[in-house]
Amino acid sequence: MTGAGEVSGAGEVSGARRATGARRAPAPPAPAPPAAGRAPRHRPWWTPYLFLAPGLVTVTLFSLWPFVNTVVLSLTDARILRGGHFVGLANYTRALADDDFWAATANSVLYLVVVVPALVLLPLALAVLVQAKVPGIGLFRSAFYTPVIASAVVVGLIWQWVLRSDGLVNTVLQRLRVISEPVPFLTDSRLLLCSAMLVTVWKGLGYYMVFYLAALANVPASLYEAAALDGAGAARRFFSVTVPQVKPMMLLVGTLSAVSALRVFTEIYILGGESGGPGGGARTLPFLIRQVGLGFAGETGYAAAISVLLFLLTLVFSLLGRRLSKGDDA
Amino acid sequence: MTPSHLTRTGIAVLAAAVLATVPGCGLGGGPGQGEDATRTGRVAGTVTFRTLQLKPVHTGYVQGVIDAFEKKYPDVKVVWEDVPGDGYNEKLVADAQAGALPDVVNLSTDSFQLLGDRGMLADVARLDPEAARDYVPGAWEQFKLPGKGQGVYAYPWYVTPEILTYNKELFAEAGLDPARPPTSVEEFFDQAERIAARSGGRYAAFMADPKGRLPGDWQKMGIPLLNDARDRFVFDTERAVGWLTRMKDLYAKGAMPKESLLKADDVNQLYGSRKLVFGPGSPGFVKDVKRNAPQVYAGTQVAPAVTGSLGHIGIYAQSLGIKRTTEHLDAALEFAKWVTNGPNQVAFARRATIYPSNARGLDDPYFSDRGDGTDAETVARAVGAEQLRTAQLDANTPVEWTNQVGDAVVREVQKAITGEQDPRTAVRRAQQEANRLLAAANAGGR
Repeated sequence: MTGAGEVSGAGEVSGARRATGARRAPAPPAPAPPAAGRAPRHRPWWTPYLFLAPGLVTVTLFSLWPFVNTVVLSLTDARILRGGHFVGLANYTRALADDDFWAATANSVLYLVVVVPALVLLPLALAVLVQAKVPGIGLFRSAFYTPVIASAVVVGLIWQWVLRSDGLVNTVLQRLRVISEPVPFLTDSRLLLCSAMLVTVWKGLGYYMVFYLAALANVPASLYEAAALDGAGAARRFFSVTVPQVKPMMLLVGTLSAVSALRVFTEIYILGGESGGPGGGARTLPFLIRQVGLGFAGETGYAAAISVLLFLLTLVFSLLGRRLSKGDDA
Repeated sequence: MTPSHLTRTGIAVLAAAVLATVPGCGLGGGPGQGEDATRTGRVAGTVTFRTLQLKPVHTGYVQGVIDAFEKKYPDVKVVWEDVPGDGYNEKLVADAQAGALPDVVNLSTDSFQLLGDRGMLADVARLDPEAARDYVPGAWEQFKLPGKGQGVYAYPWYVTPEILTYNKELFAEAGLDPARPPTSVEEFFDQAERIAARSGGRYAAFMADPKGRLPGDWQKMGIPLLNDARDRFVFDTERAVGWLTRMKDLYAKGAMPKESLLKADDVNQLYGSRKLVFGPGSPGFVKDVKRNAPQVYAGTQVAPAVTGSLGHIGIYAQSLGIKRTTEHLDAALEFAKWVTNGPNQVAFARRATIYPSNARGLDDPYFSDRGDGTDAETVARAVGAEQLRTAQLDANTPVEWTNQVGDAVVREVQKAITGEQDPRTAVRRAQQEANRLLAAANAGGR
């Protein structure tokens, strides 16, 4: 049929109707076939956009618009309950000269550097362990997934009681005479950051384990059998078969956990209070944005500028993951 | 024009429209615009009324007050909206920016100061000069604003004065006389040091919580916060350095739970499990202890708040502000006065652990009855009411001490307490940062 390839869906449907009609007598006069080179009748070009409209409108209103608004606000000196004036890049130059901004950036990047490798490797190891088909393994899978469904606030409070100066860890260590003074897990900025990382990793283990379980299910058993026949041991099979097969998933987990790590807030807020640790020493970028932008004296413009810088930082790490992923495909 | 061309054009137009409308969101002029409402003498119209987290516990009480008002003024319709505490201020800010404040709105101290400072509240002293005599003078004065003369920008509603609560058993165990609680900040620190020395690490004296202690402690100690022009902080003094040095020393000696430095600790849990001698200075806390830890409640003693040499106490005040541009000013004023009148405030205080700001309400015998002096909740009620009548109530946090200023000061104080920097440097840096924030705020009309 002429032109069917151009508008396949419409052409097939109309063709089917014609065929059905042709079996019935008396046959109506068949429409004239389209002249060669003339476009067939089809739906208006904007039909797909009509279907996309609800999603597009939602994204525009609740993602695109706020994002563009944030960029515009970042170029002003807007404050809570006060209109702003255009100040160019002043907020950005202020941020780049602000010690608090650099300290928060360093904390965010440190968080990422520690948490991402842990969340790429540990859930994989866990997934390999619970992949085994042994009786009762479902219980372990569920147990490892439990922290994911637990509320972040509840998890934070539990860890607070575990790590506080008179909490479980310090009490046990003191009773065992390992330490004489409590370790300031929550009242020292560096240790507080480490404690928050621990909670993030603990909470993310089960979540990313499920990703890896899905990836492992797709690894052909024949590869393991061939490797075993060639004399490969468990470790060799893991590094030479499992890791290459789940590498795309590792890159995905790496990218997702990197984005999450840069947005971390809850763990530090619950463990370290609203100041973000003593002297605000454990503040990350989202924490700083909240402190600067909220409240009745909130500096909306400056907070927006830090948000845009955080976005750019996230973009860099996302692109890095994408590049690694492409290199892997090549 | 081809479809793809049309698509691109459409997307470009959409993007341009988004960009063109963006400045309307978050930017533009300030919200304190519009004509002042004027009195007409006719109490009528629909009045919107917003309260702070009174549903569902106090639904019956508030609805009863509204119903009685509507019965008295049949031409008035009150539309009540209750908003939870979390996000209350954010919603106020959003509504103020959109020009959609309710006609009568429940304000806490900080939201009152902000909305009043931005010119969004009606001056009730000018519109209703007779009202002043109905309220406790200290409470009425609370709602004046610096630089705005004799104007009063909200009707005082319920108030909660600061009191002192402590575990008298642990107090005695530390060798202190439960009948002689501290009366000044310095004495409070002395007793805390003694408690830390005697407790053997089993309990601490008080919560570090610098954000809760400042600027109240400094005000009680007579440390000036601002200069006369109120355009610079001047708290960098020897006494402030002394206060911080003492806090650092007491923290190191175990007078405060370590984690309380970060406000991540639950004071109810610590006090309820006998790990803390001094509870928070709120009458509501005594009621909570009675309900949750009856054994600890039996050993709880209540005394007047630590006031310092100037006799100041802190007070947590709720008020009802009137939107400056309200369409039904007479109805809004009458309704706010109705809610805050003596009988209605006393009825409310009997349901919740609060105090009336209304003079006649506070004179109700309910607030002077100490019982036999053994029940902490009853004594707390009488002590709180007595303090409201007699203490100086001008120790409130000044409007210039914004949340951002408080956070900045607390960060430096925390560093000093944990030994990251010396107290003198901390106070100096705190003042520098506070002045930077104040100058930035003043540059744009706060």
